[in-house]
Amino acid sequence: MSDSNRLVGQERRSDGFWACLALPGVGWLALFFLLPFYVILCVAFGTVDPIFQTPSPEWNPLAWNTAAFEFVFEGLFTSGAAFQTVFVRTLAYVAIATALALLIAYPVAYYVARYGGRWKGLLLVGLIAPFFISYLMRMLAWINLLQDDGWVNDVLVWVGILDAPRNWLDGRASSVILGLVYGYVPFMILPLYAFLDRIDKSLLEAARDLGASPFQAFRMVTLPLSMPAILAGIVIIALPMFGDYYTPDLLSQSPSTSMIGNQIVLYIQGGQQIPVGAALVVVLMLFLSVLMGYYLYATARAQRRLGR
Amino acid sequence: MSHPRESRYGRREFLGRSAAGVVGLSSLSTILAACGGADNGNFKPPELMLARPDSPVTWPLLDDNPMIASGLEPESGTLRIYNWNGYLWPRIKKDFAKEYGVKVEETFFTTLDEAISKIASGAVEFDVFFPTPDRLGRLVVGKTLQPLNHDYLPNLANVWPSVQDPWYDKESRYTVPYVTWTTGIGYRTDKVSTTPDSLSNPYEIYWDEANRGKLYLLDDGRDAPAHMLLKNGVEDINTEDIEQIALAKDELKSLYDLNVKVSTDDYTNLPEGRAWVHQMWSGSAISAQWYLPEGTGADALGFWFPQDGAGTIGNDNIAIPRNAKNPVLAHHFLNYLLDSKHGYDNFSNYVGYQPPFTRLDPDRLIADGIVPANLRTAIVRESDFDKGYFLTELTPAGQTEWQNAWAEFKAGV
Repeated sequence: MSDSNRLVGQERRSDGFWACLALPGVGWLALFFLLPFYVILCVAFGTVDPIFQTPSPEWNPLAWNTAAFEFVFEGLFTSGAAFQTVFVRTLAYVAIATALALLIAYPVAYYVARYGGRWKGLLLVGLIAPFFISYLMRMLAWINLLQDDGWVNDVLVWVGILDAPRNWLDGRASSVILGLVYGYVPFMILPLYAFLDRIDKSLLEAARDLGASPFQAFRMVTLPLSMPAILAGIVIIALPMFGDYYTPDLLSQSPSTSMIGNQIVLYIQGGQQIPVGAALVVVLMLFLSVLMGYYLYATARAQRRLGR
Repeated sequence: MSHPRESRYGRREFLGRSAAGVVGLSSLSTILAACGGADNGNFKPPELMLARPDSPVTWPLLDDNPMIASGLEPESGTLRIYNWNGYLWPRIKKDFAKEYGVKVEETFFTTLDEAISKIASGAVEFDVFFPTPDRLGRLVVGKTLQPLNHDYLPNLANVWPSVQDPWYDKESRYTVPYVTWTTGIGYRTDKVSTTPDSLSNPYEIYWDEANRGKLYLLDDGRDAPAHMLLKNGVEDINTEDIEQIALAKDELKSLYDLNVKVSTDDYTNLPEGRAWVHQMWSGSAISAQWYLPEGTGADALGFWFPQDGAGTIGNDNIAIPRNAKNPVLAHHFLNYLLDSKHGYDNFSNYVGYQPPFTRLDPDRLIADGIVPANLRTAIVRESDFDKGYFLTELTPAGQTEWQNAWAEFKAGV
């Protein structure tokens, strides 16, 4: 009796102790995420200063002004309106870029994890090293590569794929998607590698022993096992892609490839409709939280399926 | 009237109503009346007038915002400048610092509106600030700038008489002019088949099929639509008429077919060959020669601006924020930039935008090799200021309409 009481007491104490470890994280989130997010909400639901035309946030939720949201929703739900067009385009670009990134990242991660051997570390560093350079610099480098007289055209013409140099920077959706894929692919490779590397090889051997072909073993063992990593990779790269605006700005500059981030920048950087920009941010965030919710649900389901 | 945020009207209706107040009464007092009882209960604001060349504005001098006294010694603190990036020759700062035995620090802003919100919040303290005439009213009425004491600014006499006493700030009470510019059309003489001046309506060059994919407009929600209006013979580029705004928007959107792009890097897009036709600021046309690839001469560049000066034109300002820590030193700095030699060096070595000095005549600029002879059109003449169209301050409602039209164009709908 007394023994078990002591045990319970100990567990309680240690529970409190472990919970305290979460405090710095919780404090950090509250200070640098919840508070700024509340400020954005207050700007989106606020008014503008009558003299300076700068935003005056409305701190009291009871007095929130919904005009900016009405404007944004009107634009999102009117077919052919600016916000809807840009939102659908963004969705398409992100979906295509994420799929391409997965197609590129999976084999790379698989190769490094399974066949990297003692070169694993070096291969990983080699893959990641270019990404120590700032995103902006890498996009600027692409501008040089893709120019009329750039190396991409030189190579394609030399190999004979193209007869004449192509104007890749001609406001093409493909250039923007290429930029997105290139910019974010390492963040797909890393989680996939981390997960694939941990897959127990004996499971694959068991599959082969039970008569599965290598492809069947991959399809029925490796792929389901790596599902949580695929989902994590998709989330990690899709979220920042949704807010991207500099990739279309640098690689296209054409209005016909602008993304939702470009509209946000347009409204936030100048003029007196900053609440509209803030409302766009909030709406985008709500949309992403739905995706995030699905991710949490899907990973939980995948884990359950794996019987963990 | 209750506070707008308590009213059952949405924000847009509020802006609409208050804008009507501004138009009708030429005054901000209606807006402020609408806000009565808010933070500024006892605040009686001066009137915000929308300055236009044909209705100039003399901003009031206010008792609670006095100018500095004459005959003071410059402070010895660090002179803090708030400016666009690349808009001041670093050597000027160095030389000024040496001459006055002070430090000079420059902070950059990306957009003027971003800078205004920081200055309006009072959170930043700068000694020298570079606003534009279309934002001047709110800065003065909001009491963020201090009146200038002309005793410290004898060099103001170096600039054209018209900008010594400009329509947006009569008597130069709060600002002095910095540099001037026109918005024209830059083109590659070695690439285009038709030049703007060979067309009866030069703005039609934007629709020339031959430049498909090599066509750029300035990424500026006022400048780009202004050319659309001028193409259609609408001279009031500050119109707030919904139909005219829609006209400009439709003209912009008709350029999608030619794969139009937008950028403010006009000074590199044209020389580096990304653009063959580029809506362009005159200062960029002059700087573009420095970015030409080897083997391409400056004669590959062309710049069109109406001969008679009836095109988009403007100038930027220098001002001193009210909360400047070193106001006397700041006055000296303004005077330093208005010095013919310093202003000329700043222009010809780095900025490419031309100060409105009386002594700077086009022939001298060409003879000095600052401007290639074929870009003579990029030189701003004093006479251009008589005929040119200025982009001026708009009412909040007008600004909203223009911004939404621009956002729609930029969405690629």
